Amino acid sequence: MDVVQTQTRDVLDVSGLVRRYGDLTAVDGVSFHIRTGETYGLLGPNGAGKTTIISMVAGLIPANGGTVRVAGRAMTPSETEAKRIIGLVPQELAIYPDLTARENLKFFGRLQGLSGKELTRRTNEVLELIGLSDRAGDLTKKYSGGMKRRLNIGIGLLHRPTLLILDEPTVGVDPQSRNAILESVERLSVEGMAVLYTTHYMEEAERLCDRIAIIDEGRIQAEGTRDELITLTGGVDRINLRGGGSMSRAAEALRGLPAVQHVDNDGAGLILTVSDGPTALAGIVTGAGHAGMSVTSVEIVRPDLESVFLHLTGKALRD
Amino acid sequence: MPGLWTMVANDLRQRIRDKSVFIFSLIVPLALMGVLSLVFGGLGEDTVDLQPATIVASADDADQLGAALLGAVDSLQIMDVTIKRVPAADVRNETQASGADLGIIIPEGFSNAVLSGQAASVQLIEGDNASLETGVLISVVQGVVDQFATGTVTAAAGGLSGLSHQDLAALAQQAAAGPVLLTLTEGQAAAEQLSLRGTLVAGQAGLFLMFTVGFGVLGLLAEREQGTLARLRSMPVTGGAVITAKACTGFILGFVATTVLLTAGSQLFGVSFGSPLVVAALILSVVTAATSLTFVVARLVRTAEQANVAQSILAMVLGIAGGAFFPVQGTGFAATLLDLNPIGAFIRGLGISAGGGTLGDVTGPVAVMLAFAAAGLVLSRLLPDRGAQA
Repeated sequence: MDVVQTQTRDVLDVSGLVRRYGDLTAVDGVSFHIRTGETYGLLGPNGAGKTTIISMVAGLIPANGGTVRVAGRAMTPSETEAKRIIGLVPQELAIYPDLTARENLKFFGRLQGLSGKELTRRTNEVLELIGLSDRAGDLTKKYSGGMKRRLNIGIGLLHRPTLLILDEPTVGVDPQSRNAILESVERLSVEGMAVLYTTHYMEEAERLCDRIAIIDEGRIQAEGTRDELITLTGGVDRINLRGGGSMSRAAEALRGLPAVQHVDNDGAGLILTVSDGPTALAGIVTGAGHAGMSVTSVEIVRPDLESVFLHLTGKALRD
Repeated sequence: MPGLWTMVANDLRQRIRDKSVFIFSLIVPLALMGVLSLVFGGLGEDTVDLQPATIVASADDADQLGAALLGAVDSLQIMDVTIKRVPAADVRNETQASGADLGIIIPEGFSNAVLSGQAASVQLIEGDNASLETGVLISVVQGVVDQFATGTVTAAAGGLSGLSHQDLAALAQQAAAGPVLLTLTEGQAAAEQLSLRGTLVAGQAGLFLMFTVGFGVLGLLAEREQGTLARLRSMPVTGGAVITAKACTGFILGFVATTVLLTAGSQLFGVSFGSPLVVAALILSVVTAATSLTFVVARLVRTAEQANVAQSILAMVLGIAGGAFFPVQGTGFAATLLDLNPIGAFIRGLGISAGGGTLGDVTGPVAVMLAFAAAGLVLSRLLPDRGAQA
């Protein structure tokens, strides 16, 4: 029997990170770490401070407090050695429109220290990976949005970074390209690359990330695996009953059931917060019918990261 | 600096590919030079070819000073002069009849009158077709007569001092018959002044240089907007290398464009700027000054669009004040400001070079341009980066 030993160590160690803009504290004491092969997500709404954190981690801007260490080296804007082992995929498309995809890749590859045959080989590999080999000689200003996004990611991968930083890489991308991007990230993680991934799409964080930090107003509100975060909500489900009849009487009746914690009547139906929704569902539908409500549809919503965010901050993720 | 030349090469490739640098740095200024040259027509001719002239003159062959006057006119090197001798009474008619440029009547006893301090009058008759040549001849005659008048004054002063008749005559003769004071030499009005066409070519090259160097440092703002600056900063290159690469790009484009403009301009419009070595030193200096200004602009603006507007305003102000379209002069503080204008210094330097000046002769304009560059760099370090704060 083969024994596979996996050596894990912190590729990124962020401690007490602070960044202020005048009176505004955009990032307030953020700490986290990422190990080899781990995909770590920063989940939060726009303006939560995700991009500011990324900017400090990538050495684009200095921190007002705290430290960022990449593979043990302190990252600052003037640091160059630590920057050799990171790959940044900015939220904005960071490619030159008057260059071809191949020229873009080769330019940034040279800056990362690649040259000669190695540069050519890696350029071809990345073009293949991002599916642009056929269009490698076209100016990127002629590319579709999805193609530009894929090239944007490819540039970050060119030098095989130890830590790949992706800042909202799927914003404005069509579903097909989005899925291709997510598959690429999953593949990189399997290959052992550490990934720092920011998004405000809950589904992406759930699909990709081994651990997730929920960010709001510059602070980490909670951190852990998806399941760990969901337990923070108490594990309650939401049941939406739609229909007509006497909904007020039905709401009153359902509040008396042991599994039901809360009932809201929004006029078009009832929204119930219940523990173990699937088990309680039959009794709830029967009780509503007996109370005079004609139920036309039923929906069980299991707790997700949206619920966690709502639970922690009192607001929706996309607010 | 690692990555410096990689970034410079990348910038140059993009600038060449998008063709804007060719349009703004070469095509537009050359077209403007052509239009302005047509508008100003022959005003800018470097030389005027004087036509052969004919003079109808009367003078006593034995009159020493009269002969000297006609001799001075006859020996002019800038134009061929033919002198037709006729009696004094016929000078006017003959001048009109023959279509001569000028008639000269030197009275009898002219030399004696001058040498004795008495009044003597040389009569000039302009031809019916008086021309530039007529004016030149009158000026020459006037100059010689003025010199003779010096003898008259000398003799009069001697008489008042009680000198003997022989001494007076000798003194007046020495004063009047001395070396000819009036000489005409072909050349330019001032050693440091370009011809109008030369000024147009040099001025347009200087003016559009201000636009050309903007493709360098101001490209930082475009990169900031298109997101590539963030990616560059995440690379293992220093921020100083990124900025230096942009400056090098602007410098190279500026140097090449200005060199091409001066070369093409001199060929197309028949202008010479003198020693290539001196011209190269002047180009390097003005490009350095212009590049330093882009650092200041890059600090003051937030977007590439604002940068283009600011750069255009500065280019026009410095270009016009420097004499890109017409000579601009001032007095007092205004004159000092104009002297500190790098475009003005560039045109002055080219004027010196065109007049045969050496490297040593252009140290003044070069010093002005390099001082401007140093001031721009210092200022850019002191100013807050408004774009980064945006």
